[in-house]
Amino acid sequence: MLTFVRRNQVLLSSFFCVFLSLYIVVSAAKGRLRTDPIGPLLMALMRPLQIGAQATVVKLRDLPQIYVTFWSLVSENEKLKQRVLQLEMERSRLLESEATNHRLQELLQFRSQLSSGSITASVVASSASTWFRSLILDKGSSDGVLKGMGVVSPLGVIGQVVAVTSRSAKVLLLTDPNSGVDAFDQRSRARGIISGSLDYGPIMKYVKRSEDIKEGDRLITSGLDGVFPKGLLVGTITKVNKKNFGLFQYVGVTLAVDSSEIEEVLVVSADRGESKD
Amino acid sequence: MKLSVIFFSFGFFLVLLQTTFLHLFPLGPIVPDLILVLCVYWGLNHPTVGAVLGSFILGYSVDVFSSPVLGLNAFAMSLVFLAVYLSSRCIWIHNSLLSAVVVFFASWIKGAALVIVWNLVLAVDGLWTGFLKYIFLEAFIAAILAPALFSLLRRGQSYLENMRMLA
Repeated sequence: MLTFVRRNQVLLSSFFCVFLSLYIVVSAAKGRLRTDPIGPLLMALMRPLQIGAQATVVKLRDLPQIYVTFWSLVSENEKLKQRVLQLEMERSRLLESEATNHRLQELLQFRSQLSSGSITASVVASSASTWFRSLILDKGSSDGVLKGMGVVSPLGVIGQVVAVTSRSAKVLLLTDPNSGVDAFDQRSRARGIISGSLDYGPIMKYVKRSEDIKEGDRLITSGLDGVFPKGLLVGTITKVNKKNFGLFQYVGVTLAVDSSEIEEVLVVSADRGESKD
Repeated sequence: MKLSVIFFSFGFFLVLLQTTFLHLFPLGPIVPDLILVLCVYWGLNHPTVGAVLGSFILGYSVDVFSSPVLGLNAFAMSLVFLAVYLSSRCIWIHNSLLSAVVVFFASWIKGAALVIVWNLVLAVDGLWTGFLKYIFLEAFIAAILAPALFSLLRRGQSYLENMRMLA
């Protein structure tokens, strides 16, 4: 008997479990199963595990939504970046327009101070050589620009037209050693020629040692060279060196106009008009 | 004994999975029945009294967490184990596809047992409507998962047996 049981213990225990579970089902269905010792124990054992697992499940369940939200945010962020870039470009364009407008207004105001005959031009190119300081304007002989005319801006004198085509003009800047403009000290009326130099920057040449000039004096065009109207600002004196010998003194000048920042200019002629100042 | 305890613990882990993580899968009301796969595995590869008790208790655990009436799943799992154990004398599972087939039919046994007992004991109206669809879907999903779980259990069992032999 015992041998039979041992040999068939799995089979017998299986049948026992089947019948036991059937009994439990019937008892539970009829309400006769009053105590359940295993259920509460199982629940108590599994509870902390289920709480932990469920918390993870909740997070995992939200994962697709988080993923979707993340990518929609990425997409939105990309769109906003594009928009910011677009607006930045728009802003830059508007600022540029505003600055151009401001410059042109100044130029117009300055032009009205000149009697007549001045031509507004834009700078289209700069010098291609280290040794020469020049600009190319977008106006030429067909617009009335002639060789030898002066080029000015509201801030002061820029240079002189040295070559003209029908549609463009080349301007030799005051910073070029080959240039020159007749000017005088606004305070002492001492005369000289303002020219560029490779070594020391612009200088005022041919100023007699006896002349009374000081650093900070304003230099204006004399109008005697027949190129620029009288009274236009050329620059200010930054250095005066009276040597013990020679006829002239050394005068260093800072020009009123920085030629590297010029965009619009006026082409003028001394015989066509003079400054009202 | 030690192996049975580990299997039993693994069974509780599967209960935990079935009550939590497996609901993440978009399978509608169908919950993959990993306990069933474990019981089938026990019936085929580890037929011991511990496995019988394990099947019963794991079925009972499912009842505790899911069933309105205690004993339904305990009965079904015990019956599945018994059926597989009896049939294991005739069949020898040597590849994954066959394990899927056995699990598929075992799931049908479980589903049928549940429905029959439910109807006989509880006399619930409308239980027959659509039960075939649910049994089929549950069996199908369990069959799909069976090869992977069988492989895992086989590896675990052989690893533990090797450890025991070394000890």
